Amino acid sequence: MAKKAVCLLFMLLFLAACGSSPASREHSADFFAMDTYMSIRAWGAEEGLLPRAEQLVYRLESELSVTRDDSVIAVLNRSGSALLPDDVIPLFETALNLCEDTGGALDISVYPILQAWGFTAEEYRVPSETELASLLESVNYRQIAFDPATGEVSVPDGCELDLGSVAKGYTADLITALLRDNGVTSALLDLGGNIQAIGTKPDGSSWRVAVQDPAGQGYLGVVNVADSAVVTSGGYERFFTDESGNTWWHIIDPATGYPAHSGLLSVTVIGKSGVICDGLSTALFVMGRDKSESYWREHRDFEMILMTEEGRLIITDGISDSFTPAEGMTAEVISG
Amino acid sequence: MLKKLTTMAMLTAVALILFTVEAQIPTLVPIPGIKLGLANIITVYAIFALGPLEALGILLVRVFLGSVFSGAMVTLLYSLAGGLLCWLAMLLPRKILTKQQIWVCGVIGAVCHNLGQTMIAILLFQSLTVAVYLPLLMLSGIITGLFTGLCAQLLVNRLGNR
Amino acid sequence: MIRTRTWVIIIAAAAVVFALLSIWMLSAKQSGTIAEVIQDGVILREIDLSLVTREYSFTVEAPDGGFNIIRVQPGRICVSEADCPDLICVHQGWLNNQGSPIVCLPHRLMIRLKEVTAVDAVSH
Repeated sequence: MAKKAVCLLFMLLFLAACGSSPASREHSADFFAMDTYMSIRAWGAEEGLLPRAEQLVYRLESELSVTRDDSVIAVLNRSGSALLPDDVIPLFETALNLCEDTGGALDISVYPILQAWGFTAEEYRVPSETELASLLESVNYRQIAFDPATGEVSVPDGCELDLGSVAKGYTADLITALLRDNGVTSALLDLGGNIQAIGTKPDGSSWRVAVQDPAGQGYLGVVNVADSAVVTSGGYERFFTDESGNTWWHIIDPATGYPAHSGLLSVTVIGKSGVICDGLSTALFVMGRDKSESYWREHRDFEMILMTEEGRLIITDGISDSFTPAEGMTAEVISG
Repeated sequence: MLKKLTTMAMLTAVALILFTVEAQIPTLVPIPGIKLGLANIITVYAIFALGPLEALGILLVRVFLGSVFSGAMVTLLYSLAGGLLCWLAMLLPRKILTKQQIWVCGVIGAVCHNLGQTMIAILLFQSLTVAVYLPLLMLSGIITGLFTGLCAQLLVNRLGNR
Repeated sequence: MIRTRTWVIIIAAAAVVFALLSIWMLSAKQSGTIAEVIQDGVILREIDLSLVTREYSFTVEAPDGGFNIIRVQPGRICVSEADCPDLICVHQGWLNNQGSPIVCLPHRLMIRLKEVTAVDAVSH
């Protein structure tokens, strides 16, 4: 009797095993890098693929981190010139293009100002106007001499770079390429809040990505995406309040040297490329609502969600069907 | 001695195969930890046919190699916690069970295996939330333990002591 | 030496106990059990009703000076007392799963169950 029961169970097992396939297995990796918590969930990944993705992140971090003495960027900032590794060249090129395209709203040479406010070491202070005025002279992405063919880059004295506003998005793109090249058709990356979706969920439905409400604990809403990056920038992520009660945040307007107050609390950019969404989310935050709308009309290759200081939620019409505002919120739609 | 080692090596290999094959089967229930634990058939069999120390040896080697093959270190922690608690839990009943009641050991072992895995999860997650699944895991342990225990029982009845 | 039959009884009993426990524990989690107390559009409190072990009450003061006393019991919530003219909020009784919130219009107070929709990630 026990024998028959066991035989039957074994048969059922084998039947179940026949139905399984590697594509239905979920693999995940959780780790800490680039000063933040990162997680990758992938379906159809072979063993060892996610660990490789993790190593990719650590490698990029060692190359890009401004706070590590031996990174390429740190060397560049110290000595004024450096030779970029092959995997950093595309990032640098894209970053400079974004600086140009956004009219300097994104400027990767704003680092000295970021340091003056104390954001890098978390020793916050309000710099004087004169200090900022003199530092501003070193802030100009046009001073950067870069040869994409060789990877040589040089900056004048006093000019220091930081790729922090594009690094995570670029990392997400590289991981996406690695995963796709290895047959992964469904994955979700969360790199410290930079979300990137590969394909749809295994069952074909879209990924549901919520957007943090800059003013509270909840969400602004949820957007359904597939094969897209979703990156949010907002002053609320890092800020300090001085003795007089003023709030200063880490997104600096490269034109003034002061934290950007363009009327926006958060900007979310949705698009195909992680690095572009990352850079744009910062640039559009600096630009403000109107200029962001103009920029979007000129390019139309991304969608965005804006939350203004007055509490207005604005979205572009490309996501009007896929975005659901949170309870009690209405989204104004910008049509192209 | 050599014969015993060979037998142990063979059993370890079988346990590994069972472990790896089972890992390929997609989880029917979306709850972490519900699995058949086929490899425990070997553990139960070994405790009765060879002895507790030999069974422990087989268990440890299988757990380590299984984690290496599956590629995730986290698996090691969970398998180790589950397997060790399972092994420990089976030592005592061994004294009071008859040859025909080996399947009971399977049940006790499986239940404790899941208990061990839950405890590790609580430790790793630093929260008691995971404990919500405990009753279901205990039930699953009884059912799967019944299955693996019966298999082990069959093996002992057929193969006897070697 | 314990008889096989005894073992079977022990194990079967344990299985039944665990089965019942599982059903009880997992069903409690399933339903949306977080109540939101909202006044003037601002969420004053979020209460997970499934975690409440003893009954308690608290008072919400309305901007115009009125009040509502909210009573919380394990798994449910209601307005037990208020000084609004028609006391509709009190008569609505215990908040239920059906979706309609308890409302006190004069005091602009609302109690409702939180929508629990799962998201896959949060962009921030």
